[in-house]
This record gives sequence, structure tokens and C-alpha cells, in this order.
Amino acid sequence: MEVQSASCGNVRAMKTLIRNRYFILALRVLLGLAFVVGSLEKIVDPDAFGFSISNYRIFPAFIIPVPATILPWMELLCGLSILFGVLLRGSSLMVATMLVVFTLAVLSAMLRGLDITCGCFTNDPAAAAIGWGKVAENTGLLCTSLLLLYSGEGPLSLEHYLRRRTGEGTALPM
Amino acid sequence: MGETAAKWLRLAIREALLISVVATILGFAYAALSQKGIFSVHSPSPMLLTSDAGLSPEMIQIEEAQELFGSGTAVFIDTREEWDYRAGHIKGAVNIPLVEFDARIDSLKDLPGDKVLITYCDGTECSSSIEFANRLYSTGISNVKIFFGGWEEWKSSQLPVETSAP
Repeated sequence: MEVQSASCGNVRAMKTLIRNRYFILALRVLLGLAFVVGSLEKIVDPDAFGFSISNYRIFPAFIIPVPATILPWMELLCGLSILFGVLLRGSSLMVATMLVVFTLAVLSAMLRGLDITCGCFTNDPAAAAIGWGKVAENTGLLCTSLLLLYSGEGPLSLEHYLRRRTGEGTALPM
Repeated sequence: MGETAAKWLRLAIREALLISVVATILGFAYAALSQKGIFSVHSPSPMLLTSDAGLSPEMIQIEEAQELFGSGTAVFIDTREEWDYRAGHIKGAVNIPLVEFDARIDSLKDLPGDKVLITYCDGTECSSSIEFANRLYSTGISNVKIFFGGWEEWKSSQLPVETSAP
């Protein structure tokens, strides 16, 4: 009896936390900033980012320019979207997907014994190499994105503000 | 609960598609306007170079690096940042950080053809030595080798080093 009520209390506490507007804002700032900051260096130097991608030995060389060109901008837009709370569910979904793909790439490279730099936040070849630390970091970010996917942007967001100004309905005119 | 979740998922997918399309447009527009990446003025674009064997310069072990050092036919290129170079580098090495490759490439082309260029960085944890060598190779300079063991291995083998004043 006691165990049952304790676990129910925990679930309820968790649900209250997720609905807390400041908690959601904190998650959005954390995840949004991570992706905005991480994207900037890759946008400025797509050649170096392309080299980081080629280190993973997943794509044939001729195709690498495509993700090297598009991926950093996806990260930037998703980061900004999460930060401001606009199109939040879409960007959380994209971020979650990207993190799953990145983590699988890191695990695959680790399994094949590739001693390479991650290329996650910086193109600097002297930065931290891949390893379980990276996997843990990505998993943490993934959990954050899934929580935001579930919770939505919350009231402390640009989308909520716009919705209040223009009436009911989502900000997306579809 | 299932229906609401499905609705939110469909919304999320629509929003994600919108973001993806805008990101793709911005990505290609930026690359075209700034002539980077796929629209790079280098040919082939540096990002297409990988470390496949046969396509790129050879990696050498410490013994060969030492031999080439002793014979005087090698020029070592330290691809690390300036402050790492100043703190300590292989004796006689020149410092060309990877980020300065484009600015300094012409000076390398003036070097006599009988000299072997050997790139190195910190060691096996960094890849700037590889990328530098690959870029050299793509400009037509073929007498390039990579000392992958780098500064760490050279130092721990107690081979000749020097420092620079700022």
C-alpha cells in the first residue's frame, strides 16, 4: 500500500515538474543554446566540417558536401526555434532524430576503433575525441529534446505570445 | 491520449519539414554566396579529401621521421596553434596552423623540390596533420608525409626540440 502511493506520488511529481513553465524554459535554453553555439563554427567552415564527417567513414566522399552544407543550418534553426519556443515540437523532433543519428555514428566509429574527433561542437581537430563521454552527453540532450517534444513550448515562449496576440490556433498557418 | 499524441506528432512532422526546407535553402545559399563548401574555389573541394590509403600522403613512424630529420632533407610543418608551437616544437620546424593553410600555401610552393614536407600535430588524437597533408597533396605537392605520432611521441623519445620567444 505504502509503496504504491509513493510511486504514484513520484509520477505525479514528475508530471508537475514537466508542466512547470520555468522548467520547460530552462530545458529550452539548455538545448537551444547547445545547438546554436555548436552550429556556428560548422556554418563558417563547411570544409572542415566535411572533413570531420569524412573521418567517420560512413558516406562516400562525393556525397559529403550535402550534409556538410545543410546540417549546420538545421542545427542553427532548430536551436533558435527551441530557444524562442516557435515551431518547438518540429524542432524537438528534428533534434531528437539528429541526436539518435549522431550517437549511432559515434558508437559505430567507436566499434570500428576509429580514434577521431567528434566534430560535434567544434571543427578543431585538437578537440575531444569520441568516446563514452560523448555518448552520455548526446543521451542527455536526447532526453531533453524528448521531454520538450512531450511538453510543448510552454507559456514562456514566442509562439504562445503570438497566439495570444492573434487569437486561438497554432502559429503555423497550415 | 493516443489521438492527441497523433495530432501532435503530425504537427511536429509538418513543422520539421518546414524547418528542413528553410535550412536547405539557407545552407546552399550561404555556400554559394560565400563560395565555401561545395561551391569552394578550390578544386577539388577540400572537404572531399579523406584519408583513404593510396589517395593521400603516407603516414610514417617515428624511426623514419628521425632518419629524415637527421638527413637534413625534411622540413617539418607544425600544424598546431601558435602558442603550442612556441611552447615547444620539433627542432627546425615551421609553424603553419591548419587554419592558415590558404594564406600561407604560396610560401610552401617556393620550397625546393628535393625537400620532403612532414606534417605533424599533437599526436594520434588530432587530425590537423592529416588534413594539412591532404590539402598539400591536392595542390599538386606530392613530396608530403605525415608523422602521426606527432609532438607527443617526438618529445617522449627525447629527440631534438626547441622553443620560440613570443
